[in-house]
Amino acid sequence: MQSILQKQYESLENKLSPEAKQLLEGWKELQKKYESDFFEYTVRGKVIKQEMHTLSLSGTKIPKVALPAYKEWGDIVRWQMQENVPGSFPYTAGVFELKRQGEDPTRMFAGEGGPERTNKRFHYVSADQPAKRLSTAFDSVTLYGQDPAYRPDIYGKIGNAGVSIATVDDAKKLYSGFDLCDPATSVSMTINGPAPVMLAFFMNAAIDQQCEKWIEENKLWHEAEKVRKKKYKHQPPPVYYNPSSPERLPEGNKGLGLKLLGLSGDEVLPPDIYKKIKSEALQQVRGTVQADILKEDQAQNTCIFSTEFALKLMGDVQAFFIDNKVRNFYSVSISGYHIAEAGANPVTQLAFTLANGFTYVEYYLSRGMHIDDFAPNLSFFFSNGMDPEYSVIGRVARRIWAKAIKYMYQGSERSQKLKYHIQTSGRSLHAQEIDFNDIRTTLQALYAIYDNCNSLHTNAYDEAITTPTEESVRRAMAIQLIINRELGSAKTENFIQGSFAVEALTDLVEKAVLTEFDRISDRGGVLGAMERMYQRNKIQEESLHYESLKHSGQLPVVGVNTFLSKKGSPTLVPDEVIRSTTEEKEQQIENVKAFWKRNEEKSAEKLDALKKAAGNNENLFEILMDTVKYCSLGQITHALFEVGGQYRRNM
Amino acid sequence: MSNPTNNKIRIVTAASLFDGHDAAINIMRRILQSKGAEVIHLGHDRSAQEIVECAIEEDVQGIAITSYQGGHMEFFKYIKDLLDESGCGHIKIFGGGGGTILPQEAEQLHQYGITKIYSPDDGRKMGLEGMIEEVIRHCDFSHLSSPENWTDALPLGEKKDIRKIARAITLAEREESYSSLLRPVKSSGRTDIPVIGITGTGGAGKSSVTDEIVRRYLGYFANKTIAVISVDPSKKKTGGALLGDRIRMNSIPGPRVYMRSLATREDNTAISKVAKDAIAICKAAGYDCIILETAGVGQSDMSIVDYCDVSVYIMTPEYGAASQLEKINMLDYADIIAINKFDKAGAEDALNDVRKQYRRNHLLFTAPNEELPVTGICANTFNDKRVNHFFGLLLQKIKEKTGVVWDEALANSSHNEGGRQDAIVIPPRRVRYLSEISDSVRAYNARVDEQSHIASQLYQLNGAIQLLKTLPENEKHH
Repeated sequence: MQSILQKQYESLENKLSPEAKQLLEGWKELQKKYESDFFEYTVRGKVIKQEMHTLSLSGTKIPKVALPAYKEWGDIVRWQMQENVPGSFPYTAGVFELKRQGEDPTRMFAGEGGPERTNKRFHYVSADQPAKRLSTAFDSVTLYGQDPAYRPDIYGKIGNAGVSIATVDDAKKLYSGFDLCDPATSVSMTINGPAPVMLAFFMNAAIDQQCEKWIEENKLWHEAEKVRKKKYKHQPPPVYYNPSSPERLPEGNKGLGLKLLGLSGDEVLPPDIYKKIKSEALQQVRGTVQADILKEDQAQNTCIFSTEFALKLMGDVQAFFIDNKVRNFYSVSISGYHIAEAGANPVTQLAFTLANGFTYVEYYLSRGMHIDDFAPNLSFFFSNGMDPEYSVIGRVARRIWAKAIKYMYQGSERSQKLKYHIQTSGRSLHAQEIDFNDIRTTLQALYAIYDNCNSLHTNAYDEAITTPTEESVRRAMAIQLIINRELGSAKTENFIQGSFAVEALTDLVEKAVLTEFDRISDRGGVLGAMERMYQRNKIQEESLHYESLKHSGQLPVVGVNTFLSKKGSPTLVPDEVIRSTTEEKEQQIENVKAFWKRNEEKSAEKLDALKKAAGNNENLFEILMDTVKYCSLGQITHALFEVGGQYRRNM
Repeated sequence: MSNPTNNKIRIVTAASLFDGHDAAINIMRRILQSKGAEVIHLGHDRSAQEIVECAIEEDVQGIAITSYQGGHMEFFKYIKDLLDESGCGHIKIFGGGGGTILPQEAEQLHQYGITKIYSPDDGRKMGLEGMIEEVIRHCDFSHLSSPENWTDALPLGEKKDIRKIARAITLAEREESYSSLLRPVKSSGRTDIPVIGITGTGGAGKSSVTDEIVRRYLGYFANKTIAVISVDPSKKKTGGALLGDRIRMNSIPGPRVYMRSLATREDNTAISKVAKDAIAICKAAGYDCIILETAGVGQSDMSIVDYCDVSVYIMTPEYGAASQLEKINMLDYADIIAINKFDKAGAEDALNDVRKQYRRNHLLFTAPNEELPVTGICANTFNDKRVNHFFGLLLQKIKEKTGVVWDEALANSSHNEGGRQDAIVIPPRRVRYLSEISDSVRAYNARVDEQSHIASQLYQLNGAIQLLKTLPENEKHH
């Protein structure tokens, strides 16, 4: 009997894959590793040692990562193959072993008026944070690649709902006082159509900051001043001036980035020094540019060039990143947020976004790039609303991405790790009983943190009716601080793992996403489906479904269609909306005019070079890095329009 | 059902400049159409000047705009100013922007002369249909008397008096005389104005191709003007029409281009009978070139040939079996056949098939490929090399058929070889990537099930074996 069983055992054992075998054999050791007091792991060659427990007030040792108590081998194999600990394939519970210490995921969005006003807000929101994580909203003039102007239909939009940035000098002011090459600084820019130009502004700002530091260290300011004097002999140099607080730089801004305002590092430094500083700066800068043109065409409409050309530009940026070893910057933030805001449900949001992500993968591969050279530069961005699926959106995203990159694209571990930013749902906030909005945001933020998001923005409660104030933004930040620092359950970094409901939901959502992939595939892939307006129509249908359920009351919204106050919870209309001032608008217009004037001699030649390169299919980002020193955003956009036309709208 | 209107109502719809929120205006324009209006829909991100120029050229009674992105005060007032300056203050302006336009701001705009800004409250009170019916009532007026306001100054810096051209076409649509309007617009009796006809199946990209032609024309010939007449079908049931060609056009705004969208109205043909008048009017106005674009009517209609000097047939590689090509009359009549969306799978086969058919139709069995006027294009590619080539071919045909030469070198298509080609994003053989991913993930999940099942059995066997070991020797054999 025993020998029969033994025989059976041996034959079955042969069917067990080496992978599963290893998982079984390693289980005990894994458990031991997580029971010990300290945990060691390496990040980019650096060994990091962290405590594995926190101590509660009651003296309980709270594990940072808790493992299942499974004994049955089938369960152990399944758990490790579908869930696993954070930092291990398929990364369902998270892509890092442990969260970074001294860096909350908090990343707050800001942008209003001119660069000086937004700079002040940036210093305000990051004042007490050891890590400076900034997120930039641009005004619609900038988002459509144009320069500020007196023409009334442009004028009214300057500096509203975002910051006005038209030149490299504007970018330098915007991020002044933050060391853009410090590993603790990371900047996110929400811009798509003109993203490559804005990115070139940013990169130049970062490089010139390092040039400033070099000049400082080598005590060579007198040399730089000579160049400035010569350049600005007949015209005033650009200055940092905030009309609403003209007296000084905002608190926290020590002026880094402003000393070379109006000058490029290569105008004051010897070419070899500049080249070296540039190369180092590019390897150090940390951040994200949204640049996700597919979701723009599907949901948000800030396209300016044909989708095909916009994709080419994205590919150029990525190729430049590879050539220049830009490793800590995400060349795209593949975004579901806008798809959700336009009305898509969470499954559609996730499916469309991942599908877009895989489309970039296929495109970059078709350009001859290697998966491991670009996959680590991709990041994701989702919305978190109230629906149950939002509790697992990160889990499913990470799991599908990891499986596909590992098995279909043969990508490395680093490539398999999907990192994402969450913004709580703006659409879920209401103009009635706006005090309740913070409660919604809190719950959504909790979903996000339990789900191990890498970065998080919490909306201000008054966003449904107006531009957030410092007070409302402070409350929104407090939501995150309270969860991260006060809420005990959030000290465990895999708090929702092992819940039957969470596991079931993860499987259901994964299945639904794969089914949606097939639907898109049947329509010719993401681009084929876009041509038939498949994504747009689906988003619209889902939006109508939500609206009709909300309208009928089948979908309860507290303070909106149920639990109304005695006064009926009326819609709030603000008496006044904070808008950019006349002074700010005119300052931006005059600044860009002065910029054109002082670069008059060079700009035509630089734009010609750009147009020629566009005609010849060269890497345009490479060229743009130079063009932006002399040309404004609008000038560049129009030059490219001349060569290849504009985005063609669909209906 | 609303009351029928006394006048044929034409309305321009758009979302404001730098504003991508197009969902609301899209719903509005659909309701407008269903109420019998002819809607010229411009889509999102349109400047004040573009909207006003369109309104004048299309001779509409109203403009409806949404603005959700701020700057609405300046935007709406600027539109009103531009209309007034152009002597077109009769055109009414309607707007909406949800909660972004405050009630006191709406009031200010009404006082400034904006007919109506609709608030969310209006929406709740009147409903969408009610709002649109009100817009239609406001627009139900005869605007034929406005020439009194027209001075000699040309509106919006245009090269011609677009108001008079537009009105003349409106009068022609009503079968009324337009000679009083056209007299001031000198008829030069020129015979050097070629008319290009563009036709093709629905969705083949006629408007995109037209736009690409106009863009290149304006770029190459710095002083020449051009007029585009575009025809779309009216809905029989409602009388309304979606005149949707302008939304695809980016080169139309500007002083050297006139565009007019026509609905077929009562006619059952692909080309409104007014098209002939419209062409005559544009010729009389002195435009250097005229494009007539007609509704996609599939295989049989070739009436466009009667209206134009050079005809272009636009198709895609997706026509079905090669035998379908035998049914397309335009393959007999068109001067140029362009296969658009040439980045699609099967494009090369399509080009071969169409060439073969063309040879049969024209008994050109031995002509080399390069001499056949059949070409592949990608109108949606940035600076597409194939479209550049096609444009050269078009100039060559214009020269052959009308003797008009604007530029000797360009009219020789082989000289025009610049541009980008085969800017393929996803190679056709990779087009099923998403299903491959689903299959790969499913296969992984199946592997997990299988491996986990094996591991379970091993666990059970191991348990049994261990248990057996603990049993006394004699019990093991039962």
